[in-house]
Amino acid sequence: MVKTSGARFAGICTCVPATTFHNLTDTVEFSEQEIRKVTGLAGVDSRRLAGESVCSSDLCAAAAQKLLNRLGWAPDSINALIMVTQTPDYILPSTSCVLHHRLGLDDRCAAFDVGLGCSGYPYGIWLAAMMLQGGMRRVLVLHGETPTRFADRADRSVSLLFGDAGSATALEAAEPGRAADWHFALHTDGSAYGAMIIESGGFRNRFSEDARRYCVQMDGARIFNFTIKRVPALIEETLCGAGITVDEVDYFIFHQSNQFIMKHVCTKQGLPLDKVPIILKEFGNTGGASIPLTFTEGGLKRPADRALRLLLLGYGVGLSWGSALVELDPKAILESMELDHAKEKL
Amino acid sequence: MTQEEALRWIAGLFYETPECLTPDTARADIEAWDSLGTLSLLASLDSDFGIVLPDEEIQDLKKVGDILLILQRNGKLDLEAQVVE
Repeated sequence: MVKTSGARFAGICTCVPATTFHNLTDTVEFSEQEIRKVTGLAGVDSRRLAGESVCSSDLCAAAAQKLLNRLGWAPDSINALIMVTQTPDYILPSTSCVLHHRLGLDDRCAAFDVGLGCSGYPYGIWLAAMMLQGGMRRVLVLHGETPTRFADRADRSVSLLFGDAGSATALEAAEPGRAADWHFALHTDGSAYGAMIIESGGFRNRFSEDARRYCVQMDGARIFNFTIKRVPALIEETLCGAGITVDEVDYFIFHQSNQFIMKHVCTKQGLPLDKVPIILKEFGNTGGASIPLTFTEGGLKRPADRALRLLLLGYGVGLSWGSALVELDPKAILESMELDHAKEKL
Repeated sequence: MTQEEALRWIAGLFYETPECLTPDTARADIEAWDSLGTLSLLASLDSDFGIVLPDEEIQDLKKVGDILLILQRNGKLDLEAQVVE
């Protein structure tokens, strides 16, 4: 467990593609019975699809631009940009550099990518909090994924599940003594890296004649087993490390992996379901970006007179998992938007 | 738990009648024991018995007897026990 102090959320904006794909009516690869079986378990009715011309960076750039406008932050006031994604624009350069340019940021701004997926948001927030604690004033964490673009449409274990989303989170140094400490628990089990993998396209297996090697392959049983073993322990570790109980957390913001898995963990840990927003029905599994998307789409009830205490839980590909126990004060902005790539000039 | 009770539990998971199942019944012969059925099995082992399997044991689940073995190894199944009517 690690602790940081002096950071606050200034705002979060999320962006999803305008195109909605309805699993039951738009899927042609599987029978209605099969679709109902999978979607019933996973809890995914529809998903947002980026299409071939939209990248994570496009969704994140739109979200960041809107957020910066709302906050009134000048581009040259931002000290660092962290782009968390496993669907980058290019192998090189870093997508963060592309976004740095698109957002018109200053050349004194640090920019780098973090190549994590479902666990990426707690890691991104931890890095930003450390940087703010170290003296920076304003940090942007962008987290976007377009997993529909690496899902094999004929593979029912992934194709009915994934949706696309981007997000921008603005963090800033809080006034001294005005922000609660944040707690983080960060973990890795690299021995199971093959449980969710895209085998080709990187430098280990540069090219393949089999198109499926460019799609994600997921060992669903192994991922499920990992989740029921690691996530309950992660929740206990974080609560115990911070010295609080389930009752003292307003919301548990899970990576939206799969309704069946999430509900199983909730039951196992005795988490009240009204403290666990689930947005899978409308958006599917949007990778690690599902955590900020749940901030904006999860119907959080925000009291005007106090901050919400939130436990963020990311887990999956890597295998990697992490938590962040943070506070969201009433002044922090939450916004959402759609990107219609047919209308937008990207 | 007796073997008869364990078979009833497994049958309930996969929408089968207990009489249709024996330790030798193969996974391939149980329609609902597909990849989603495996998730359901793993979840039920955890929630009903507190058993979380090591990854390598998941690959070894090929017939009903393999599930019985897991229950037995974890002290949940007593092959000597009889059902009390």
